[in-house]
Order: sequence, then structure tokens, then C-alpha cells
Amino acid sequence: MQRLVRQRDDPMAQTVDYTPEELMAVVISREVRDYETVGVGAVSPIPAAGCILAEQLHVPHVTLIILDSEEYYPFPAGSSELHFLAQRGDLDLFFLSGIQFDRRGNFNLHVIGDYNAPSVRMAGAYGSAMLYYMAHRVILFRAEHTRRIFVEQVDFVTGAGVTPENIYREGGPALLVTPKAVLAWDKAAGEWILDRVQPGSSVEDIRQNTGFDLRVSPSVHMTTPPTIRELHVLRTVVKEKLARSYPDFAREKILTV
Amino acid sequence: MGVPFIAVRGLLHSDILKHRPDLLVKENPFNSGEPVVVAQPIRPDVAVFHAVQADRWGNVITPGHRDDLMMARAARWVIVTAEEIVENKLTRRDAGDDTFLPAIDVDVVAHVPLGAHPGGFGSLSEHDDRHCREYIAAAKGESSFSVYLERYVYGVHGHQEYLERVDAATRQAKG
Repeated sequence: MQRLVRQRDDPMAQTVDYTPEELMAVVISREVRDYETVGVGAVSPIPAAGCILAEQLHVPHVTLIILDSEEYYPFPAGSSELHFLAQRGDLDLFFLSGIQFDRRGNFNLHVIGDYNAPSVRMAGAYGSAMLYYMAHRVILFRAEHTRRIFVEQVDFVTGAGVTPENIYREGGPALLVTPKAVLAWDKAAGEWILDRVQPGSSVEDIRQNTGFDLRVSPSVHMTTPPTIRELHVLRTVVKEKLARSYPDFAREKILTV
Repeated sequence: MGVPFIAVRGLLHSDILKHRPDLLVKENPFNSGEPVVVAQPIRPDVAVFHAVQADRWGNVITPGHRDDLMMARAARWVIVTAEEIVENKLTRRDAGDDTFLPAIDVDVVAHVPLGAHPGGFGSLSEHDDRHCREYIAAAKGESSFSVYLERYVYGVHGHQEYLERVDAATRQAKG
């Protein structure tokens, strides 16, 4: 069995409780790099929180483009402009979710079951099948880590993880963040590998709740738990800014100081 | 734009292409061997917008920074409902941070206060979560949806009566 190594112990953080959404937002915030142009789409409160947290803590020169936000949406003519920015190859980081993910980096935002007689029909791709290829890095996120979501093969490929060489692609999957795990994209192998175990979970727990045979990285380690400073800024400045676009999420998922 | 088709990035190897006859894979004429998706223009027969203000000439202000102008121009027939019909002629300057649709892109204007319901409408009205939940519950079955349609669509004479029924249901739910 895989042994877990806790890379950096933060005894202070261990005394603090946090919600799964807060953990995911903190993990995402650490992935944002300074001077990047970062886009956040619709119905994405977790990455929106993570990006604003990153801006407040460690990437002062980041350009954040958050759809439906007064403060963080710079364009005058609507959501098409975020898509055109990505098509020009100028979007460094974007976030997508899905109703299914598989080992090969495919995600599904369309249907469960047969396309013509589905048991669940979602609203659809809304540009994600372009953004998944044209953003330099895409971080996938999902607040539920179960076998119904992590499947051997998605019922519908909204965006493909692996494409042939002759297809123009600026980037693609980079990470997949859940409350249990952080998966990293192995580009050479064309599959997800378990890179980090979130606090409270284990390699065994993750593999049990993943419907495909998940490879484990030789350097797998525990996520550094959210620090007091990260949680404090998340629960004050970020919570207040986020509440303007996502009042219910900010109130219910982000705790108060 | 009025172009016969447009090339789009991405989408290749997505199952979307299996179900959309208006999206085709062609070779990039400027880069041989590279497949690229081309899309047929969408030309809706009708586009409907709800506006903050409209004037009698058909100039319209819709809230926020949006793609409304693109959608209005794509459609053959454009219908606008408005919170308010103003006496003076509206211009681009009156729109400020909002979106301006000039009369040339608009066909019909109607005065319908609270016309965005159950959607929210900027600072003027909030999204009606309770009514949306009622709609979602009703939409799960044929018979419950027929009841919904009879109550809120076929069985009402105009938007005012619709709003009165919504109000009554809200008061009943609050007990």
C-alpha cells in the first residue's frame, strides 16, 4: 500500500475547521501564477473564490476575468469577448466542471445515458469544448468525488482530454480538484494520476470512490491544509467580494471569522 | 456579420459534432492538413429581449454588458418588452454602462413592467427562486406541467394577471 508523506506540517491549521468548498478554493488559489490572465465562467463559485483569494494573497499582477462580476469583468460587449480572448490564445488559465470525468481527461457537460433518451440532460457545453483546447491550462473541479462522477468512460465527450497531433490546441487539462483528491494530468500517458490527497482522505478512499483504475504518482503526498491566513482572507475580503455574484454560496459555504 | 460560415477553434473530437449538422469539420484552407470546425450562422426567426427603457421609435436599453446586439442582429424579427416607455428619444449616450439596441435592429416594443419574471432584472427585481422551484417541480411530469401551463400561461389574460397568480402562490407558500 502507498504510504502517505505529509510534506509540510502546519500545526496551526490543524486546529481550524473548514468546508470542502473552502479547501478546494484554497487549493485552486495556490495554482494561480502571477501575471497570468485567468478566466472564470458561469456557475463557478469555487474557482471564483480561489482566484480572488490568490489575487489578495500572492499574485498582485494577475488579470482576473470573472463572468457576471461587476468588479472583475472588464469587457464591454458580453461573454463572447472572454471566448474570443481564448480563441486568440491569450487565456492562461480557465476552470471547468462536469457531470462525469474519465481516466483519459474527457469531461461530460451534456447527458447521462443515451443522447436521444437521456436520464439527465444538462444545459450543454457553452463554449467549454473550445475553452478546453484553447486555454493554456484548465483546472477541472467538482465538489463531489464518487463513482457516479469518476467513470471509466463518459457517456458523452463534451471536451476530449487527448487529441491527435494535427489538431490545433493551445493547452488542455492540468489538474482536477475534488474534496478528496488533486489529480494531475500526465500529458505523455494521456491520463489522470493521483498527485495529492486532501486532508481527511486517503489513497484507498480515493481509489474506492473512483470508477476507473487511477494510477498513483510515486510522489503522491498530502495537500498542505489551508493556513489560518488563507482562511482568514477567504472569510473576510474574498467572502464579501464573492457575495456580490454568489450570495448563497458565500453565505452557506464560506464560514465567518 | 452576414458571413456564410465561420471557423471555430476547439470542438474537434467532441461528441457535439455527432449531433450538430450545422458544425462541420473541414481542412483549414490556409494550413493544409489541419482540421478545423466551421459553423453555419444561426438565424433565429425571432429574438425577444426585456429592456430597462424603450422609446416609441424602437431604441432600447437592456441591462448590463451583454451580447444582446449580436443576438438582435442575428434574428429576423426582434421583439422587446420594456419596464418603461420614455417620451424622449433614446441615444447611445443614455445607455451608460448598459447595452444600447438602435431602432434599426428592433421591430416591436411593448410596455411590460416586471416582464423578466421569474428571472431577476438588475437592481429592479430579484430572481424569483420560489417560482422557479415551482416550475421545476411542475416540469417533471406531463400532467403537472399541463396544470402549470393552464395556471400561468393559457389561463391568464395578460402579464398583470400572471403576476397576480404568482403573488397568490407566493403568499400561500409563506402561509
